[in-house]
Amino acid sequence: MRKEIGGMNIFRFLSFVCLLGLTGVLGAAGIRTVPSEVELSGSAARQLLLIVSEEQGASTGDLKDAKLTSSDSSIVTVGKGNVLIPKGNGKATVSADHNGLSTSVAVTVSDMEKPVQWSFRNHVLPILAKQGCNMGACHGALAGKGGFRLSLRGYDPVTDHYNITRDARGRRVEKAAPARSLLLTKPTMAVAHKGGKRLVADSPDYHVLADWIRQGAPAPSDTDATLEELRVLPERVVIKPGQSHRLVVLARYSDGRIEDVTLHAKYTSTDATVAEVDEGTGEVSVIGYGDGAVTVWFSSQVVIARVTSPFPNQIPESVYSASAKANFIDDLVLDQLQRLNLKPSPRATDDVFVRRAYLDAIGTLPTSVETLAFLNDTSPDKRARLVDHLLARSEFVDYWAYRWADLFLVNGKLLRPDAVKAYYEWLRGEIAKNTPWDEIARQVVTAKGDSMKNGAVNFYSVHQDPETMAENVSQAFMSLAINCAKCHNHPLEKWTNDQYYSFANLFSRVRAKGWGGDARNGDGVRTLFVEGRGDLIQPRTGRPQPPAPLDAPPLDSGLAKDRREYLADWLTSPDNTYFTKAIVNRVWASFFGIGIVNPVDDLRVSNPPSNEPLMNALGDYLVANRYDLKTLMRAIMMSETYQRSADALPENKDESKHFSRYYPRRLMAEVLHDAIAGVTDVPADFSKVVLTDGSFQDTKFYPKGTRALQLFDSSVKSYFLKTFGRNERAITCECERSNIPSMVQVLHLANGDMLNGRLSDKDCSLMGSLTADGVKVDQIIDETYLRCLSRYPTERERRGLLQVFEDTPPDERREGVEDLLWALMTSREFLFQH
Amino acid sequence: MLDFLSDQKASICGGSHLSRREFLQVGTLSAIGLSLPQYLAAKQTHVKPGNDEKACIMIFNLGGPSHVDLWDMKPDAPREIRGPFKPIRTKSPDIDISEILPLHAKVADKFSLVRSVHHDGAAVHDAGWQMLQTGRRFTGGVQTPHAGAVASHLMGRKSDLPPFVVLPELMGRGGGNLPNGQAGGFLGKAHDPFALMADPSKKNFKVPDLLPPDQIGASRLDRRKSMREIVDQTVRSFETSEDARLLDDNFHAAFRIMTSEQARKAFDLEKEPLKVRERYGMTRFGQCCLLARRLVEHGVRFVTINTFLTVFGETTWDIHGSKPFTSIDGMKNVVCPLYDQAYSALLEDLHERGMLDDTMVTCLSEFGRTPKVNPAGGRDHWPQCFTASFAGGGVLGGRVIGKSDPIGGFPAERPVDPGGIVATIFHGLGFDHESHLPGPSGRPFPLVDFGKEPIRELF
Repeated sequence: MRKEIGGMNIFRFLSFVCLLGLTGVLGAAGIRTVPSEVELSGSAARQLLLIVSEEQGASTGDLKDAKLTSSDSSIVTVGKGNVLIPKGNGKATVSADHNGLSTSVAVTVSDMEKPVQWSFRNHVLPILAKQGCNMGACHGALAGKGGFRLSLRGYDPVTDHYNITRDARGRRVEKAAPARSLLLTKPTMAVAHKGGKRLVADSPDYHVLADWIRQGAPAPSDTDATLEELRVLPERVVIKPGQSHRLVVLARYSDGRIEDVTLHAKYTSTDATVAEVDEGTGEVSVIGYGDGAVTVWFSSQVVIARVTSPFPNQIPESVYSASAKANFIDDLVLDQLQRLNLKPSPRATDDVFVRRAYLDAIGTLPTSVETLAFLNDTSPDKRARLVDHLLARSEFVDYWAYRWADLFLVNGKLLRPDAVKAYYEWLRGEIAKNTPWDEIARQVVTAKGDSMKNGAVNFYSVHQDPETMAENVSQAFMSLAINCAKCHNHPLEKWTNDQYYSFANLFSRVRAKGWGGDARNGDGVRTLFVEGRGDLIQPRTGRPQPPAPLDAPPLDSGLAKDRREYLADWLTSPDNTYFTKAIVNRVWASFFGIGIVNPVDDLRVSNPPSNEPLMNALGDYLVANRYDLKTLMRAIMMSETYQRSADALPENKDESKHFSRYYPRRLMAEVLHDAIAGVTDVPADFSKVVLTDGSFQDTKFYPKGTRALQLFDSSVKSYFLKTFGRNERAITCECERSNIPSMVQVLHLANGDMLNGRLSDKDCSLMGSLTADGVKVDQIIDETYLRCLSRYPTERERRGLLQVFEDTPPDERREGVEDLLWALMTSREFLFQH
Repeated sequence: MLDFLSDQKASICGGSHLSRREFLQVGTLSAIGLSLPQYLAAKQTHVKPGNDEKACIMIFNLGGPSHVDLWDMKPDAPREIRGPFKPIRTKSPDIDISEILPLHAKVADKFSLVRSVHHDGAAVHDAGWQMLQTGRRFTGGVQTPHAGAVASHLMGRKSDLPPFVVLPELMGRGGGNLPNGQAGGFLGKAHDPFALMADPSKKNFKVPDLLPPDQIGASRLDRRKSMREIVDQTVRSFETSEDARLLDDNFHAAFRIMTSEQARKAFDLEKEPLKVRERYGMTRFGQCCLLARRLVEHGVRFVTINTFLTVFGETTWDIHGSKPFTSIDGMKNVVCPLYDQAYSALLEDLHERGMLDDTMVTCLSEFGRTPKVNPAGGRDHWPQCFTASFAGGGVLGGRVIGKSDPIGGFPAERPVDPGGIVATIFHGLGFDHESHLPGPSGRPFPLVDFGKEPIRELF
């Protein structure tokens, strides 16, 4: 399995890999060079060469003391820090020795006779970015700094060039005497610079800037070579705490040149508890255990290097080979656990599983009858049958309509009540039909017509201008926040300002008549149609960008067809892995409490998945099953990974993202609400909605007995739901939902009306049946345990509780039962999924 | 055997007392090669002795007040900079302040202004919330703690009340989808603030659910507690779940607060004479300021008051001039009067009660506003330069620290960044700002970043 996955990655980068031979051939006995082939083009070219030990495609050590020798020092020499320096055109070999092991790399030097010509776009701007000159805190601020303005991290080379060479009466560059240029005297502090010292006089970067000025400070042009691919090597590093490893970053340009840009890339560690990275050199130091990554940014492209630090456990191989595997999920999770030296927890017991499965799949507790039926069932396939049963229940439709309504902002603070209803009923209808996810996305993206007849049109009642339409489609369906790119290139991502406006231009012809957007007034009806003309202007250039979905080729802007059709084709294409991964991760997180990527809806490249092969395989599985989410859910629920116990072992207690066990979590607000109402048989009364200004309005949408998971929207008044962190659906973001326990919640459970009001309710039928004549305390305890915790009490619990009842005066029986239910429903076992 | 469920401190290692939480933290120490005695020694150096009376009230001005219109006026600048308001003289010869804050003028001898605050984060609300409240921008997945959470960690609980309280509610979302820093961060959710979740200016204001229902007397509460203890001990997996441990801690804290006479009194604004309540103003913010004083009196270490809950759909400091935001008139007619009254009342009241020396009051915001008035007659976000204020807790009043340039665009003298602001708060609380917290994975994490210093001229 691992080889196949490795193969997939390699395939993806095939062209580049072939060119460089990056996967390389192992050296004689496990050491190799990085990169494994070197081309030095021009006398200014340099290449950092690492010698690494390698196992299973990952580097296991940066052999800094390896000795390097060149076969021909008239072609290439080895400089300080193992940097290769070209001396003359031709081919040579550089060999490395380390503790008796040896390896070598072929070096080709060319173009030594050509004069070095520095490029503003590809050399000057990266230096300014690396030194931080164009970061947001300095000249990259919207207003610039000290009268000098640069585009944030260099997204606008043309304007930057103008500001450097023409603005300030040209004093920033002195072509006749480069050393007098402000571009050099300021950052070296030869004259006062509020930004401090950013550049060392006579350093290599200093000379690049000086030479570029001397060469006439040439402007960027359309014929400049463009960055085609960025690579960081090694892609995977496996080292221990206390060890460090350097990285090599290579840029391949459209003219075929490959440059070592290690010193000009910007580095960040994605998990500072596992690894730290030197911002200057990119050297990684491991400080903890687990999987981490380093994000590498250069010229608006982002790549990552994986850093693994296996836990210091001793676990025999047989643990993994003997572990039960139900499907591909288990293979891939166990693979990773083995790499990290983590032991999987054993299978959860039936009583734990039945409660977990109900809560995760349909958001309700099993009744005591359902629990007993499952526990007493002796057939070997009972878990599979339970899963199938749950996926077919009507509560499944309620639960998932509610979950996905978070994404579409079904919210009475944004829409009129009838529109909320139409929007919700459309969504619930599609879930009930089990409409594939790509089809739901298409219906939303291309929605048109009357918003009451086609509920999906309300997506465009919530989002009314091309920019917010683009941002929310991207966020909801691809988990990509592109809004940063509205004003400048995304600082952490590859998305550029131009791509943003290309994307938004796909929505520029969407028009609507009718209700304007005031959630407190009007009929709420909007009729959406698409015009045959009109474009969105990119404010930076004053011209429209060709309409294109992010990195896809642009659409002919003359076409009269609805551009959203083209977008929907691209969005839901199996090749768009963002689309697939976004929904896979949302579904996964719904069952496990955390995603494979976290935050759940943040799929930027610089936020890598905790288990990439697993993420890819789940995506492939969903595509192969035509975006049928139930099939995906079934695979997840049937995996041994999902069915593991939440009990931690000494060999996995320190990890919390690799799924070695099930992670306990507090029930989501609505589920907990319904659990309390369900156990007590006292439903809630949802009769008011909260408007934008905080005032209340009556609603007749919800008959007595409506569960919280059946509410259409988030504006329904409920102190409980608010306190327990429901998603308020103001913005498309999972961050709006919170499952964090707080003292306010505890006080509300312990003292508030939600629980106490129900227990003391004279009409509470549960209390009635439990306190009926002839019911024994033993039976009361059994029934309340089954209802609340889906299990029988342990002997210790039974003994303890019987004692409490014995100490309770006979005329306080009802109060005693109330108190027992209170104790059960404020216990962590009730409040948590586990 | 350690009794994990009781609130009492377990005895370990010959007399050192560790709370359950500390005990769990100690478990991670071996990872960083620190022994228990070393850890305890390190912990003890955090807080200077004799500072148990220190407290802090942080007023967080959501929206970002316009420094040029309020605290750092530029009467000599061109019209499009100086705006519509005029400065007035104050009780301090060094401070001139805006005419729309007349009551500030009367207490100007008690507070000092820092006119050269700036940060290098994005000009979105949440970025500034995060930076000003924790002293840092979150990077590498590390969420740094709110200054109040640090106080909660270092000083612990002084009474039955939680050490760190937010009034009236936690901040809402700011539009940038970033964490707002009003949490315990890597110190753990146990140091998240207790949020009131109610408006103390409302009639019959009560802390929601502070007390059990009337029919639950002491004996039933005892029965409930003992039954719950029987039920809650069975599932093993909760000991490795931070959220589950937190819920447990919350329960113990809740039991303590709901049975506490002291807590009941602290939150009971009816105990205040009407004259005092009215002096603060019968507004949400005014009554929060009064409640903050009561809470500090009753042992709360750190109170953060959110002047507003969100910048959307409320009249706030966020004066873009166009809808749905606030206009410059909205600031003048709505925001400033209620703010001016409550803030001046708080300082005077603390002073009259002799509490000001030990209670630092700091007013912070996520940013200032553009020096130039925009076409809508408002001002937009401006993190490059703004004003913060400090009073009490050893701070000398009536001073101006730092200086902005002639239009309030950038600091001209003594720039102060969020790290310096938070270091100043820590200094006021008596913490050694060069000491360390248990960081992510148990690694030592500096209280403030290396090189960040308190503004010593204030003291």
